[in-house]
Amino acid sequence: MSQQRMAIWAADEDIDEDIQDISLAIGNYGQNGHFDDAHIQPPQIDEQTLIAMQQHMAQQAAFAAIPDVVKGFIVHFYQAVLENNLAEITVAYESGWNKYTEKFYAKTEWPEAEIIAPLVNDDPIFLILYRELYYRHVYSRLQPNIDDRFHSYENSCELFNYLLNSEGPVKLELPEQWLWDIIDEFIYQFQVFCTWRSKVKNKTEDELLMLADGAGVWSSYSVLNVLYSLIQKSKINEYIVAQQEGKSTEEIAEIVGEYGVKPLYRMLGYFSIIGLLRVHVLLGDFTLALKVMDNVELNQRSPFTRVTACHVATYYYVGFCYIMLRRYPDAIRTFVTILNFIHRMRQYHTRSYQYDQISKTADRMYALYAICHALSPSRLDDNITNMVKDRYGDELARMQRGGEDALPAFEELFMYACPKFISANSPPYDDPAAISQILNSSPTASPSQRSTDLPTAATHTDPAHRHLRLFLSDVTAQSPVPTLRSFLKLYTSLGAKKLANFLDADEEEIVQEMMVMKQASRSVSRIGSEKGSLLDGQMITTSDLNFVIDDNMVHIAESTIGRRYAGWFIKNTERTQKIFDDLRHTPLPAPKTVAPAPAAAEASKTSGTAARKVAWGGVKA
Amino acid sequence: MAPTWFSPATRTELIENLVSGVDRYNPSNVGILEDYLYHQIRSQEYDCLANLAILKLYQFNPDLYNPDVVINILIKALAAAPAPDFNLCISLLDERLQNASLDEPDPLPPLLPILQGLHHLLYRCRFPAFWRAYRSDDLEALRDNYTIECAGFEDSIREVVIRAVKSTFTRIGTDRLGLYLDLNTPEDLNAFVEKLGWTLDSSGTVVNVPPNPDNQIEATVVQENIKLPQLTKVISQAAKV
Repeated sequence: MSQQRMAIWAADEDIDEDIQDISLAIGNYGQNGHFDDAHIQPPQIDEQTLIAMQQHMAQQAAFAAIPDVVKGFIVHFYQAVLENNLAEITVAYESGWNKYTEKFYAKTEWPEAEIIAPLVNDDPIFLILYRELYYRHVYSRLQPNIDDRFHSYENSCELFNYLLNSEGPVKLELPEQWLWDIIDEFIYQFQVFCTWRSKVKNKTEDELLMLADGAGVWSSYSVLNVLYSLIQKSKINEYIVAQQEGKSTEEIAEIVGEYGVKPLYRMLGYFSIIGLLRVHVLLGDFTLALKVMDNVELNQRSPFTRVTACHVATYYYVGFCYIMLRRYPDAIRTFVTILNFIHRMRQYHTRSYQYDQISKTADRMYALYAICHALSPSRLDDNITNMVKDRYGDELARMQRGGEDALPAFEELFMYACPKFISANSPPYDDPAAISQILNSSPTASPSQRSTDLPTAATHTDPAHRHLRLFLSDVTAQSPVPTLRSFLKLYTSLGAKKLANFLDADEEEIVQEMMVMKQASRSVSRIGSEKGSLLDGQMITTSDLNFVIDDNMVHIAESTIGRRYAGWFIKNTERTQKIFDDLRHTPLPAPKTVAPAPAAAEASKTSGTAARKVAWGGVKA
Repeated sequence: MAPTWFSPATRTELIENLVSGVDRYNPSNVGILEDYLYHQIRSQEYDCLANLAILKLYQFNPDLYNPDVVINILIKALAAAPAPDFNLCISLLDERLQNASLDEPDPLPPLLPILQGLHHLLYRCRFPAFWRAYRSDDLEALRDNYTIECAGFEDSIREVVIRAVKSTFTRIGTDRLGLYLDLNTPEDLNAFVEKLGWTLDSSGTVVNVPPNPDNQIEATVVQENIKLPQLTKVISQAAKV
């Protein structure tokens, strides 16, 4: 075990050699009697024992160095996992681990799994889980080296192997939050690895060698394979459909089978769908990302929304897909829903260790909302719009004005808020010639171009900049719209020629811009077809300013939105009713004397109705 | 983007299974999808998701990469403007090193900026400029090697024009429309207009565009519209008392 931990690739070879040596040795002693060979063996073994002993001593020293409270914690944690005691696991996972991280391991690794193994009876499953936490800590707090990157992949594989390829469903139970974190972290490490791998420069010789050998490590196929396997094993899609059809618990159990009935698999299955959504977005496949969500209903009532981090991530990636599909109204609706949710939940979450992550994602969604709002102005939610103005008021104003200043603002917010895109494939590390060619090529870093030309000539080739350029080319196409709009707002009809003169442009040019403007005021949206797939939708109008060209005359009509009272009144009526009901159901204060209680209740009832009569009268008067 | 965009009626069950299932990742299915693409090219059908599935396989398996297929996919996607199909395809084309192992020089790198330029012109409704660029000598290779094979390519671009014109105009001059459609003789234009079911006005120089939801304008005041479900709580409360 300990040898494996040191350097898995080197260790593998060692083991192979050992086996050869041993079988050879046996053969020699038993049959052929090649004395020479046998003679050479012992010193080698001695040397190995020596190393083993040294390692053993080092391990013992490391073990001794672990603070007693941490040892106690690990034992306790192990017991909780062993007994499938969800409450205790949750406490250990959500508070214990973080507490001791802050106290002892803020800047160093937790003890390696082999060192604490004696504490947990060498339980392989617990050690896998422990390593899951160990590596997550390395990734989030420290700088993972290439061994960490390779080993964390292996540990994930071991974990998923255990879950998927044991005989029947495993007995293990884990808190939902942890299950989400396992999937989330798996994809995060994949993304980090791909980003790191794509930078050929600054790699050491060892790293280049290991990358050349380890082509399968963190491959896109292997990651997708895990996620799809979890989805299929858990029959989560079948589960969701059955639930939507209102099937009974027994029927659902029948449908989803022995794996799907277990919360562990069901949750992992659901989180894997969200994981797929994310992986597809990272790889730039926005349609497929939404397609894997076909069965998932986006709403707040689903039982899967209990893990806030998952809920927030889902909306972030769905919203982003809509931006890349040019469905800005749908993106806006997605962000508004979740940002309101986060806003409401904030009070409960400030103490959670994920709060930082959630508020960072929220901040990026405010930025994306600003982008959508500039491209497709709407008055959907003043509350969120105001919060966006607080954060990105300057950028929003620049984007809304259009023209020269707008593009850098779009770029800035997009690069800040977009997912961390990755390349599906590794640079050709297995081809030393190609690699040295890349290493010797001149650096490609140059500022991305900001002209209003087609932004394809820019030289950044990393995935994020590729998507940025596509997005900016859409934005560029729309850039004359704000100016046109501001002119059209002043008229009900106007000759195209006159408009062209105002703008100091060619009439034909303006007419073509007007077609762009028309196009920009239409969008496919799920409004009105909310039940179907996320890709579904119908064409809607997104602008309050409508116009039409009659030969050379532009006619303009503006829609205004009347003030909305109903929602406010309904909300407050309901609230008042609730207060009233609560009051009525509150027991009266215990009577001091032995007064006739029923009479008092009777009185309060009548006074209740009486009071309301008065209120109604008051309104009338 | 019609409702059938992500599932066109012409898609066969075999393709549907590939597009919607995990079999889409199986490299050995790429041939089926490529055949389907060439079927689309011959018979003026279009299935964006199936074509994206090809690009996905190329993304994961660089050795499958076939530049002609990619170029054909992009040509088909051009005609989907202003829907985002073209950019969705481009998104899946990872940065690719010059592949020295190909026998012939890769035709995609020189054509890619050209196709993107054409798409940008279409997306910005610069139709006359599109036709000028498309007919230019520089694009001879694209025309002779690719678009000529794509049945009805020019008409499919004209449909892009019609979509834009239909939603913007109630009446449009024949000269202008001819320029947008690249139909330069009155006979060609009249035949095309007639096929659309549009009519010329009495002077013969202006085409009437039939009314449709996008070219009808009306100043409205959007009043709020309260639906019964919003009031269920209030009403049920009233019923209780």
